[in-house]
This record gives sequence, structure tokens and C-alpha cells, in this order.
Amino acid sequence: MRKYSFLWMLFPALLLYTVFIAYPFFSSLGLSFFDWPGIGPKKFIGLANYKNILSGFMASEFYRALWHNIVFFIWSLILSVVPGLFFAFLLAADIKGTKWLKIIFFFPNTLAIVVVGFLWGLLLNPQWGLVNQLFRVLGLGFLAKPWLGDTKTALPTIIFVTAWRGLGFYILVYLAAIIGVDREMTEAARIDGATELQIAGRIILPHLYPIIATTAMLKFIWTFNIFDIVYAMEGTQGGPAGSTDVLGTLFYRIAFGGLGSSQVGMGLGATVVTLIFLVVFPVSIFYVFIVERRVERGE
Amino acid sequence: MMKKLAIVVLLAAILFPLCAQQKTVSIWGWRAQDVDVWKGVESALRAKGEQITIKYEVFPPTEYDSKLLVSLQGGVGPDIMYTRRLPGARTQALLDNGYLTPLNGLVDLSNFDAVSLSFISANSKVWGVPFANQIIGIFYNKTIFDKYKLKEPQTWDELVQIAETLKKNGVTPFFVSGKEAWTLAMQNAMVGVSYPGDAWIGKLAAGKAKFTDPEYVGMLKDLNALKKYYQKDFMANTTAEQDVAFAMEQVAMVFYGVWGNTNWLKTNPDFKFDYFPIPPKDKSVPARAYTYMDGAYGLNNVSKNKDAALKVLNYTGTKAYGELFSSITGEITALKGVTMPASKPILVKCYDKMVNIAATNRYWVGSPFDAGTPSVYNILQEDMQTMYLDQTTPEALAKKLQDGISTWFPAFKK
Repeated sequence: MRKYSFLWMLFPALLLYTVFIAYPFFSSLGLSFFDWPGIGPKKFIGLANYKNILSGFMASEFYRALWHNIVFFIWSLILSVVPGLFFAFLLAADIKGTKWLKIIFFFPNTLAIVVVGFLWGLLLNPQWGLVNQLFRVLGLGFLAKPWLGDTKTALPTIIFVTAWRGLGFYILVYLAAIIGVDREMTEAARIDGATELQIAGRIILPHLYPIIATTAMLKFIWTFNIFDIVYAMEGTQGGPAGSTDVLGTLFYRIAFGGLGSSQVGMGLGATVVTLIFLVVFPVSIFYVFIVERRVERGE
Repeated sequence: MMKKLAIVVLLAAILFPLCAQQKTVSIWGWRAQDVDVWKGVESALRAKGEQITIKYEVFPPTEYDSKLLVSLQGGVGPDIMYTRRLPGARTQALLDNGYLTPLNGLVDLSNFDAVSLSFISANSKVWGVPFANQIIGIFYNKTIFDKYKLKEPQTWDELVQIAETLKKNGVTPFFVSGKEAWTLAMQNAMVGVSYPGDAWIGKLAAGKAKFTDPEYVGMLKDLNALKKYYQKDFMANTTAEQDVAFAMEQVAMVFYGVWGNTNWLKTNPDFKFDYFPIPPKDKSVPARAYTYMDGAYGLNNVSKNKDAALKVLNYTGTKAYGELFSSITGEITALKGVTMPASKPILVKCYDKMVNIAATNRYWVGSPFDAGTPSVYNILQEDMQTMYLDQTTPEALAKKLQDGISTWFPAFKK
């Protein structure tokens, strides 16, 4: 009996996990096999929702949104990791005002995403927004564009804003990792005549690879679940002309309808969610595996 | 002791019947601006001797429908619920699952016209009491029009001429919030009722006309050509920016709805503006105003408080209620024969247009073309943006509409 007493200790957490994670997940998975507008009896339709999404009337919208998620991931990763590392190295050099710079860099992270969307919406206003005004004052009027109203610039703009908001997080994570690198190694390299650039590139950076891989996987998971910033800056339609539509906004439109949509389909929406899960799940498992391995190694 | 007991018994005898008569009617809706309306209804009913307390709960518009559906499914819900229009998936779901009570014979609906009731009717029954009507069209700055001696246009070409005159004089003729796709779908729909026209849409609904007909393609071409009179970079602007630009007299005209008047006057109390429906291309086609019912009050079929709820609903079908509603919200009541508040001349004008030139056929909200997937609304939202961005042609947009609607619209399948 005592052998299984651990189950009692697991029970509270297991109960919460079952109610708030497992049940909604399996319920959503089950729903993807039904046609259901959110009320009344559910009609079992087998794999019809998957067919509609993957090769039916929703296919073009689905693949377009999926592609936008992929583009979003690649560019926001580049825009997070590269400047994140650069500023982390800069701050690690303990230059004057490091403490304040850390606060300044991290500040956007403390803002609610809706606030970020609203503020950047004002800054990017084509007629009187600060961004275009600045370009004009600097004699770079040709760069003044309708950033959120052009299919070519809307998605890159949202990616930039997302990277701007999240940069502080990456800086802090990389900075912590840099500080954690054994000082004896860097000191020894310095005594041996290595330049600061060589130390950074050949000693510190290789030590950061695992943490970069971890943040990249987190970025992947976050990006494929992205909804709020697109919603805040371009609405549920992912405009203009669907150029910023991602899987999150596609799901929202399908499941909850919203202004102008007659596609109130919980089953179809659940299918999109399941497909997002199928993309994110393997990466999540890999992420857990990597973290576990690092913990075991005591890194 | 006996004296005290006698007082208690006497008080109980007086208060008990009062408490017994006191009924609370719960109402759920998405409109925060209606709180004072319901207070007014409660006072009016009390003045009539009805001991009814109204408990009005407001939910965010984006959450309201799912909250209502989930609650009703779980056996909890209000006595009276705000509903959207028919045809429409959300109201249809309430109807299909028996949550709405047909009101024929229970509520006096004689103060509503057929157009208003048509938005909440199905199977020859009325499923709600309409509360507000909206009218959309062109709102214009009267001061600017007076300055350049411009008159409300009677034809599309006159509208273009006005835009040309304004542009020549350095005034931005139109402000269009192209970033919000729904406004472009709305713009297309409000133009459609006059050009190609109400009767043409009637033929379309009957399957005797097509979106690919020259009349409709011509309209799309003219609409696309009008964009040279919009503000620069209009595809990146929102309705909030439009409200400010129009109210601060930076532009002459907007394609919008009467609901905008509250914001405009809040921004600029001295702002003078007026309304005209979209003029037709051909003078022989009458100019029509796109009007639609904004919502209705439905009676919960499983309410345990139906008698009291019906008293409330019956009051919302009176002209007194219409006046109360319009004076508090600054919106147009769905009731006919109501005097709009003189302090709001735009409501007086729009109400007059609504009564006299409302289109009977439409292809945007509250139309049979909004009842399936993809709806005209779905397609127009994305493809009006695409057309304005020169990424599709008017012909291609018309074809996409025809092909998309043909997949489910019965009259197109014949």
C-alpha cells in the first residue's frame, strides 16, 4: 500500500492537469470530428473537417496562414537572437549604465501586447505617425510607407514589433548564460593573448549554443501559437488582404465567427487547433528532452 | 406584547403582497450604452403600476454570443436576450435549438415596418423585438460643401465631379479606413443598393442576375476608380482615425453609418454634417439607403418569468420606448412613427431616409447572401482590399463572388 502512496501526493496536481489541460485538449481533439456551431447536437462527420482544411475549401487560407507562421518564426528568431546576443555581449562588458540599459531593454516586455499593438499603430500611422515623420525629417521620405496597409510591409512590420517587444527577454537570458561561463577559461585565454572578439566567438559563444537552441524552440512554440499581436495590429482578418493572417487568427475566425463571418464552426476550429498542435508537439517534446538532458548534465 | 405582534402582522400583510408582486426580469446584451435605457423602461413600467425590476447585464460584444450559447446550453440564461439578425448563423443557432419564443400574438408588433421585422423573422414567425436600425451611406461636412457651393449629388458622375472640385481646391474628398476590411465590404454594399440598384439585387437574389453582369462589374470599376480621391495611404487607416479626421474637418466625406455621429460630436461639438444615400449611375434608378436592423430582444423559451418578460417586451414595442431609446443612445429606433430628438438633426434626416427610401434588397448583413460560407461579406472583406491594392481586377472580384456564392446559394445552383 505504501508503495503507491505517492499517488495521493500526485493527486492534486494530476486533478488540476486533467481538468485544465488534458480534458480541454482531448475534448478539442474529439470536437474536430464533428460539425458543431457551438450549440445543439453535434454531428459526427469523421475526417471531413481535416479534408476541408487540408485540401478543401479552407485549404488556401490554411496554407497561407501556415506559411505566414513559418515566415514569422524565421524572421522573429533572427531578429531576436542576433541583436539579443549583440546586446548581451555589450552588457556583459559591464559598460557604464548597464543596469539602466537592462531596464530599458526589458521594459517593452512588461507592456501588454494589446498596448504594444495600439502604441505601434499610432507610431505607424501613415499620415501623422512618428515613424514616417522621422523619415521625412531625416530626408528619407521615400521610406515613409503605409506600413500596416501594404501587403508587402504589413507582416514584416508585425514581426519587427514582436521582436522589439521580446528583445529584452533574449538579452537577459543570453546575458545570464554569458555571466555563467567559467571565468577561468576566459582569463586563461586573455593571458594567452586572445582578443576580446576571439574570446567571445571561440569560448563564450559555443557555451551559449544550448541556450540559443532552447530559446529557438521556445520561439517556435510561441510563434505557432501567435494571435494577440496580429489581432491587435490587423484584426481577426489578418489584413490587408490576408497578408498577416496566421493560424491563430484563422482559428479565431472559423471558431467564433466575428463580424462579417458566417463560418461559426467549433468543429472546424478545433481541427485547426489540432493541426497547430501536431506542428508544435514534436518541437515541444524535443525541447523537454533537451532541457532534461541539460539538467542531468548539471548545465 | 399583543400590540407588537399586531404591528408585525399588519406590516407583513402590507409587505407580503408587494414582495409577491415584485418580479425581476434579467436581460443580457452587448450594448453598454443601453444601461440607462433599461432604467428608463423600469421607471416607465413602475409608473404604470408594474412591479418589475430589470437586471441588465452587459458582456463585451466579441464574447457575448459564445457566452450566451454556452450558458443556455448549460441551462442558465436570461429572460430576455439580445439577438443578432436573421439570416445569420448565431441567431439561427438559438432558433434551431428552441431557445427563442415566437412573439406573434404575444407582443404587439404593429409599430414596426415589414423591413425591420424581416431581419428577425423566419418560418413566418417573428423571433424578437427589433431595437435599433442603422443606415449607411455618405456623411459629408456641410461647411466644406457650402464653401465650395456643392450640392448633394443625384448621380454617380455628380459625386465624382464633387470629389474633383474638392481635390482641385486642396481638400481631401474622402477618408476611407481601408485597414478595417469590414468597412470596405460595407462601402461596396451601400453603393450596390443604388448602383446597380435595389431592383437588380432583387433579381440577383432570385437567380436572375449575376455578380459578373456588366452592371455590377461596372460599379466595381467605378468604385475602384474613385480611390484617387481617398486620402493618401488609405489602406493603413482605421475607423478611429477616420472619426477624428472627419470630425476635425480634415476631409469632406466618409462612407459610414449613422452610429458614427456620437463620436464625431464628442470630438467636435460644433461639427456640422449631413447625410446622403449613394447616388445611382443612371438617373432612372432610384437612390436607395442601405438600412438594417442592428439587433432585437428575444424571449427565452425556457424562462420561468415569461409574464413579466413579456410586459417588458411589449413596452419595447411602443413609440414611447422608441423615443426613450433614441434620446438616450443617439441612435435610430427600429419603431416607426417616432419623433427623433430635434437636438440631433442627423437622426431626423436619417430616420426620414430610412422611412422613405430604404432598400428592400441587399447583399451584405441581414441578407440571404450572408447565410452560407463563403458569404458575400467574407469575400468582399478580403477582396475589396485586394482590388484597392491593385492585386485583383474588378472582373476577377466579380467572378470570385459569383463562383463562391454559387457553391451554396440555392438560387445560383439552379
